[in-house]
Amino acid sequence: MSHGKGVGQDWRVTRKGMSHGARSAMFAPLGQLGRVEAVTARLVDAITIGLLADAERLPSEAELAARLGVSTVTVREALVALRQRGLIETRRGRGGGSFVTAPATPTHTWQETLRAISLSELRDVGDHYAAIAGAAARLAAERSSAEDIERLKLATTDMRAATGVEVARAERQFHLEVAAAAQSPRLTQEEMRLQSLLWLPPHRSAYAEHREITAAIAAADGDEARLLTEEHVVDAVARLAELHLDLVAP
Amino acid sequence: MAVAGDEVVEQVSALVEGVFERLKPVLVATESLLADRPAVRARDLDRLRPFAVGALGGLVVGAGYICAPHTLADQLLGFQWWTANQDAAPSQLFISLDPASADFLDYTRQSWFTVPRDTGRRHITGPYVDYLCTDEYTLTFTIPVRRDGRFAGVVGADVYVRAVERVLRPRLRPLGGRAALVNAQGRVIVSNSVRQVTGSLVREVDVPAWWLTQAPLRGGPRLRRCGDAPIALLET
Repeated sequence: MSHGKGVGQDWRVTRKGMSHGARSAMFAPLGQLGRVEAVTARLVDAITIGLLADAERLPSEAELAARLGVSTVTVREALVALRQRGLIETRRGRGGGSFVTAPATPTHTWQETLRAISLSELRDVGDHYAAIAGAAARLAAERSSAEDIERLKLATTDMRAATGVEVARAERQFHLEVAAAAQSPRLTQEEMRLQSLLWLPPHRSAYAEHREITAAIAAADGDEARLLTEEHVVDAVARLAELHLDLVAP
Repeated sequence: MAVAGDEVVEQVSALVEGVFERLKPVLVATESLLADRPAVRARDLDRLRPFAVGALGGLVVGAGYICAPHTLADQLLGFQWWTANQDAAPSQLFISLDPASADFLDYTRQSWFTVPRDTGRRHITGPYVDYLCTDEYTLTFTIPVRRDGRFAGVVGADVYVRAVERVLRPRLRPLGGRAALVNAQGRVIVSNSVRQVTGSLVREVDVPAWWLTQAPLRGGPRLRRCGDAPIALLET
């Protein structure tokens, strides 16, 4: 599940009834931090929430740059990123410009995704994730160098003090580091793909569990690392199933 | 046999120098960009584009400059990185640099960044899974960048491990016994034996311990460093 962006359940309504105020906020000046990413993120949000409608023509690069308070180079890079994601297309010549191509499947919040999923699908994705993450942990125990262990420990420590968005990031980063320590590009890519489908919800035991998995990998105990990782994932999926039942409860 | 081993060591050194050579113009351009103006902004890094793109080719599939924190006047982190596409034009890498984003991955922990920062010397990281850029099993060559004598990031080049294997494995075959090129942690880059697969750690010799002194081993296996690269030839 992708993470919520504070979008309500009624995004379709928002799309139709887009207020002038919301539009102005979308084009309010940005700070200087990570401007290309920030411009990209804001335009992605605008398109997926529906503030910019399908087939709508974007303002010119110069106009966008002026309204967002960034350089035209920054806007151009953001537009490249949007084009790569298939969210806009650019036509040349008279009547040309960049036009919104609304995503074929609208972006849901995680609640919507979790509400829509069936328990059998959730179990199946969970099984897949446990298999990948478990296999990665076993190989990581076999193949981790001192350097890999050091990075795993850093990723583990991230979870201890994490708050807000950092929790989800620490969860993702930890499992990514395990897959990378397994020296397997395919397991790492699969880990990333599964992370986009399945979100391990924050839990107070996450830090302790990551620490135990890291300890097993550092001790080169592949069986233990695999077992702990599988349990870690299965428990998280069980929490998702409970959340699902809460959401669909009458 | 000793002669054949020497040849492999020379081949590796030549390959390594070849990659670092491609990075020299990127290093010169980056250091002069940083020296030329008091406040370098993220958009100024676009001036490095022709140099990063120029470093692509041969074994190099990705190249550019990665900033140390606070090098830029207008943002904490930043980079200018270009990757080769097989048929199409090179493309620029974009990843989240916003520490508040759920997608943010902190590159300042990666060995290709920390080793040049901490030692002041060029480095080869890997073989490792580069999940920030190539998503492949990769060797990353990095050189520290300095501004006013202080560390200001790295210029780097990515090389696929499989491409290195294609170049170097034919050189290992003529060696009499089992032979492998390993990194300083004892991780196999390429070998002439299925019993030492790429990415595995060598167990019969404690390579990290050997690396501290690089003294000849007594009897049995032989280890030789390839020039000043963190790569050694292991013959068993």
